[in-house]
Amino acid sequence: MSSDVVVELDGVRKCFGPRVIFDDVSLSVHRSEVVAVIGPSGAGKSTLIRCINQLNTFEKGVIRVLGHEVYGTEEGRPPLRRDDLRRLRTEIGMVFQTFNLFPHLSVMKNVMLAPQRVKGRSEAEAAAQAQELLEMIGLSHRKDAYPRQLSGGEQQRVAICRALAMEPEVMLFDEPTSMLDPELVGEVLAAIRRLAVDGMTMILVTHEMMFAKEIADTVVVVADGGIAEMGPAKEVLSTPKTERARSFLERVLLHTGGDTGPQAAASEGGFDAASGGFDDPTLSWSREVDEKGLR
Amino acid sequence: MTVQLASILGLWGSYLPSFMRGLVITMEITGLGLAVAVVLGAILAGFKLSKFKALRVIATVYVDIIRSIPVLVLLFLAYYGLGQLGLTLSGIASATAALGAFYAALLCEIFRGGVQGVERGQREAADALGLGRVSGFVRVILPQAVLRILPPSTNQLSNIIKDSSLVVTIGVADLMARSYEASATTFEPMDMFVLAGLIYMALYLVIARAIGRWELNVQRRRG
Amino acid sequence: MSAITLYTGAMLQGAVITLELTAGATVVSLIAGAAGAVGRLYGPRTLKAFIFGYVETIRGLPAILQLFILYFGLTQFGIDVPAYWAAFIWLCLYGTGYAIEIFRAGLQGIPEGQHEATAALGLTRFEAMRRVIIPQAWVAMLPALTNFVVLELKNTTLVYFIGVQDIMFHARLGVSNSGQPLAIYGIAALIYIVLNGTISRVGGILEKRAAIAS
Repeated sequence: MSSDVVVELDGVRKCFGPRVIFDDVSLSVHRSEVVAVIGPSGAGKSTLIRCINQLNTFEKGVIRVLGHEVYGTEEGRPPLRRDDLRRLRTEIGMVFQTFNLFPHLSVMKNVMLAPQRVKGRSEAEAAAQAQELLEMIGLSHRKDAYPRQLSGGEQQRVAICRALAMEPEVMLFDEPTSMLDPELVGEVLAAIRRLAVDGMTMILVTHEMMFAKEIADTVVVVADGGIAEMGPAKEVLSTPKTERARSFLERVLLHTGGDTGPQAAASEGGFDAASGGFDDPTLSWSREVDEKGLR
Repeated sequence: MTVQLASILGLWGSYLPSFMRGLVITMEITGLGLAVAVVLGAILAGFKLSKFKALRVIATVYVDIIRSIPVLVLLFLAYYGLGQLGLTLSGIASATAALGAFYAALLCEIFRGGVQGVERGQREAADALGLGRVSGFVRVILPQAVLRILPPSTNQLSNIIKDSSLVVTIGVADLMARSYEASATTFEPMDMFVLAGLIYMALYLVIARAIGRWELNVQRRRG
Repeated sequence: MSAITLYTGAMLQGAVITLELTAGATVVSLIAGAAGAVGRLYGPRTLKAFIFGYVETIRGLPAILQLFILYFGLTQFGIDVPAYWAAFIWLCLYGTGYAIEIFRAGLQGIPEGQHEATAALGLTRFEAMRRVIIPQAWVAMLPALTNFVVLELKNTTLVYFIGVQDIMFHARLGVSNSGQPLAIYGIAALIYIVLNGTISRVGGILEKRAAIAS
């Protein structure tokens, strides 16, 4: 494991009961690398990243996150001690598809909770940090609101702050925009883009192909029980080498072609389904959101 | 150990016929109480959903007051209190009245919730099709409300079975009273009460299962 | 008339016993119920099965039968417990069964995502329960908890049967001495209405406050 590898999966197999979801998945994520995981629904993309912070267990193989090692349940190793598991998780930030903010706590308290209770920060320290994060993400004016008073996009941005407050070494995003109304997607993507620019190591499960192409260094296509293709984002997305990856990409892009959302419009203009290639990924809408969302 | 078990089983065997006659009375009280509670509860629910404020107030006051009174007090009021007014009720009739009055209040809330839980869109669709108020309710709302009403009502039925045992205090020879009596004569209260407990549990399980089956059937028929 | 005044006074004294038993048993049951629910949901398999059986037994048997089993059963085994304490123990055992169900339903009602979010943040189970899960479950459980206290209070009416001097005990005594069942049981009913009405009112206020706070 070279020194700048943050997350490494080695021969990971995941089953639900008798059904194998994926097998023999190996992957290295380097510091400051952005990895986008794409693929048809049901292929186990979410499950894959949930194995990294052990929200799902897996059967075979090993996952290394910095100094921590997690073995599959059938590898014959003793299970991870609860404290070690917690330590592992504090290195990893997670953003969920359904936000999962704590509804009984204000925005501020949502962000402050873990630093106070896990890192033992004082209330003042935690508050100062939360304030800073919320300002960065453009939500400091909503700090006393409760989650249900926020739009989906705002909730997801708070959830990003909550994860960042633990100062993780790597961030996992589990389809962070798929529950959002189309007009709210941009603000969340802008926040993620900002993290990428700042050099955060990230693994992102997403359906936003244009976004993946724009910010990801590496794209991993998960399909049919394993990694169908993996490589530099622009290569994989414009000239997929394997049949499985190609057929997936064609289906996705045909499917979104009829939509009217900004990303769909973008893919319509940007992707020639017949030839299987993208043209220039720099899109005006994403820059617009950048300016609006993150000043 | 085996000797003990044999003697317990022997004791149970000799008292079982008497307990079974008690069980019939328990079921009688439960059935009668339930019938009164369902009818009265439905009427009260109708009041609660009525557009006339007076009816809504009557139902609300009834429900709030009756719910706060222990069933045992209602039973004594029916059995001893009404007698003072010259309206002497038998033990079973008193129990029917007390259980009926109390559980009507609880069922009223369940019925109301079930009907209100059916989406408003269903009512509107029925109206739009020109179904009258009554046939809209009977053909569209009620069949859907039933599925929401059944599970919590089953719960209340089991509570009625259990509360029917309060008649032991007014000398009705139900299952509970017979086990009490038997425990006094045999000086083996534990054995007698455990037998009664098993019978109560069995009764509950049989009824819950039957209703569960029916519920499943209804759901299946509707896909 | 004076007989009724006399027995009303006695019943009010009985109300102190009723409230004592209700309050004491409620506190014990809620603590034991919370622990039981955690065991029921997260404990080892045998513990889960035991707690499940316990809850079903308590919920399946008539209250009065349970009281008799406890009181007369203990006597049969030569354990002589004063009636008051037998009543108290029974109310605690009974209440614990119901409280476990309330807490279990409340805890299970919290979406899985909340648990996952606490886990992903590295909170300990204890901290997650204390800061995230219980504060939310608490609000959802309040109506059930109010009903629970009312249920416990109603159950105390049975303890006169083993000689505890609660409201019902004095009412029965008054009726047999004065021959005025309608008036005396009517007054008893009123006392219960006031007590249970107060509990419901307090529960309602707490619910409103909790709803505003979150």
